[in-house]
Amino acid sequence: MPKDLLLVAIFSTAYLSFALFALSQVRHWRVVFDKALPTQREVLLLRSLGILMLSISLALSLVRDGASFGSLLWITMIGVAALAVALTLAWRPRWLRPAGKLFSFTYPDTGRVNHKMNQVKG
Amino acid sequence: MKDGFRTRMSLLHTWAGLILSGLLFAIFWTGTLSVFDKEIDRWMMPHTRIHMDTARPLSVDREIIPLLAERAEGAKAWTIVLPAERRPFLTLAYDSAKSHIAQRNSFHPITLEPLPAPNTRGASNFIYPFHHNLTLRQNNIGALLVGIASMGMLCLLISGIVIHRRIFADFFTLRLLRGFSRANLDIHNLTGVVLLPFTIVITLSGLMIAHLIYFPKAPDAVFAQLNPPSVTQERPKSKVREASRKREQDVSSENEDEMTDAREGSRNSPARSRFIAESQGRVRPQAIGQPANVAAIDPMIAATESELGQGAVYMIRVSNPGDAGGVVALRLNGDNSVSQNIDNRRFSTATGEELAHFNSSSTTNVFNFIAGMHYIKFKHWPLRWLYFIAGLGACALIATGLLHWTQARNQRQGSTGFNVSFMNAHNIAAITGIISATGAFLVVNRLLNNREQFAGISSRDLEVYAFFGVWLACLLHALIRVFLNKQHGYRKAWAEQCCAIALIAIAAVGLNWITTGDHLLKTLFTHTYWPVATLDLVLVTSAVMAIYAARKLSVIRES
Repeated sequence: MPKDLLLVAIFSTAYLSFALFALSQVRHWRVVFDKALPTQREVLLLRSLGILMLSISLALSLVRDGASFGSLLWITMIGVAALAVALTLAWRPRWLRPAGKLFSFTYPDTGRVNHKMNQVKG
Repeated sequence: MKDGFRTRMSLLHTWAGLILSGLLFAIFWTGTLSVFDKEIDRWMMPHTRIHMDTARPLSVDREIIPLLAERAEGAKAWTIVLPAERRPFLTLAYDSAKSHIAQRNSFHPITLEPLPAPNTRGASNFIYPFHHNLTLRQNNIGALLVGIASMGMLCLLISGIVIHRRIFADFFTLRLLRGFSRANLDIHNLTGVVLLPFTIVITLSGLMIAHLIYFPKAPDAVFAQLNPPSVTQERPKSKVREASRKREQDVSSENEDEMTDAREGSRNSPARSRFIAESQGRVRPQAIGQPANVAAIDPMIAATESELGQGAVYMIRVSNPGDAGGVVALRLNGDNSVSQNIDNRRFSTATGEELAHFNSSSTTNVFNFIAGMHYIKFKHWPLRWLYFIAGLGACALIATGLLHWTQARNQRQGSTGFNVSFMNAHNIAAITGIISATGAFLVVNRLLNNREQFAGISSRDLEVYAFFGVWLACLLHALIRVFLNKQHGYRKAWAEQCCAIALIAIAAVGLNWITTGDHLLKTLFTHTYWPVATLDLVLVTSAVMAIYAARKLSVIRES
């Protein structure tokens, strides 16, 4: 079972990292936060956290399956995770709010998570 | 300057896409299905839907050699493929004094009863070969076409990145509700960017695997400069070796055949044989002519497996059984590594002594890793599914690319020239056509239900005729619809072929139920059998998606 759990963790961290990357873009930021624009620092922080998450998912893949299977698993998994984030944003953008909340938690200065659905402009 | 470069890349992207995308869709589609070729085989060969859970390891000496002794008298080589999870039966192959073409028999892994002949090519012998040679084996034409398409795919991927102006800004952008063209281009960009690592790696490795087809003279050039063979263990004259190699191909297992075929094409020059012998360690032992007994094989397997792990041996080949020069080669499975382990263990048939085994060089290991991640012969279900999903994504990438070109032109009123109409019909045949054809392949398999022949044509061939027949019918249907009504005919054709896919998929699931009694409730819950259940589920899902697409298409037409 720990192998299955690790698999879920690898996907979750990859998904989260792409969610954070998406939130660092104005178009997707507006869906989640009540501030119109993220500050430079917020963008930087979102992206660094995204990179951190992506590294964690790579580390977990390597732990789960070793160098050869692990790297293959990670490369294919991040593609699928990025697709999943894009599909989430297309159909259910609100689902990214938990990721936003998580971010507000790590960086309290940021705008609160917006509970009214902003019109997405793009 | 930069814009000039972009314009040129854009031109390349358009033209390479227009010319090659139909072929590329067929290759990626069959490749994606080949990820689950053995599972499709189980669906198409109901006699082999066997649970391996309760199977115990077989004893080669006590259980398998007697089977061979009954059947394979005078054979020059025996091949024993042990049952495995994805291939749940024992396969024996052997030639006879009359013919060097091997006979192949399958046996139940537990009872060892002979299984009836499958009377179908299944996915491993039709969909998979189609993926790498389009079933055009003559002079490797198919493989060369696939190679050209793969080169084109690499150009398309790179030029696509160059002409995409907002890679990062639009990284996650998927505007599905903003009209067809917008959504279509967004899907194209998204799958193109996000799946780029997968598509590049899979295309490049596919090209590299078949290097001996694309550079057939390379070994000749290298080995012509060298002195006669220096390091090989056995050195038969090249002619003998070619003959024995031919025999090996005939006798060898289904997998091995496909792999060598995919890699090397059909013919071997002496230099090529030497290259293969030195790089892959594939040398054929010669008979000495002194009779000898066959030593016990089980201890050889036990010795190998104590070193490499339980279940490490998947295939046993005995060359020249009953001869003092006979060799037992144990082939190692690739379940637990990306690259196929080719350091086969060898033993003397007469004495049971271990012979020197081949050690592949690091170059060969790197090559085997690259080839291995294309073949996915390893046992790793999550990765297998990820390949499948990414493969479908690549199919979507190619399909949306084709649609982008025609849709931009279809929407300009009154500008439906011959080229646009032609591409409309081409797209329908290339996308829904091959999907329908694949479905028809499955439907006809269940209609024939394992009979040997129908109306004088063998079932094996009839299924393939059905595949190409339905594909051709889809092309004709698309042409008729598009040229009858140049403005809106294509939509009707799309909608109708989507309906056809739905019908075929449902028919396949229904026929599987009727002919084998394996309906979804049974294969999912009461007698769980994942290969069949999953294929049925995928068929039902595609039917639902096809109906959804058909309904959407007809709504657009009315508005």
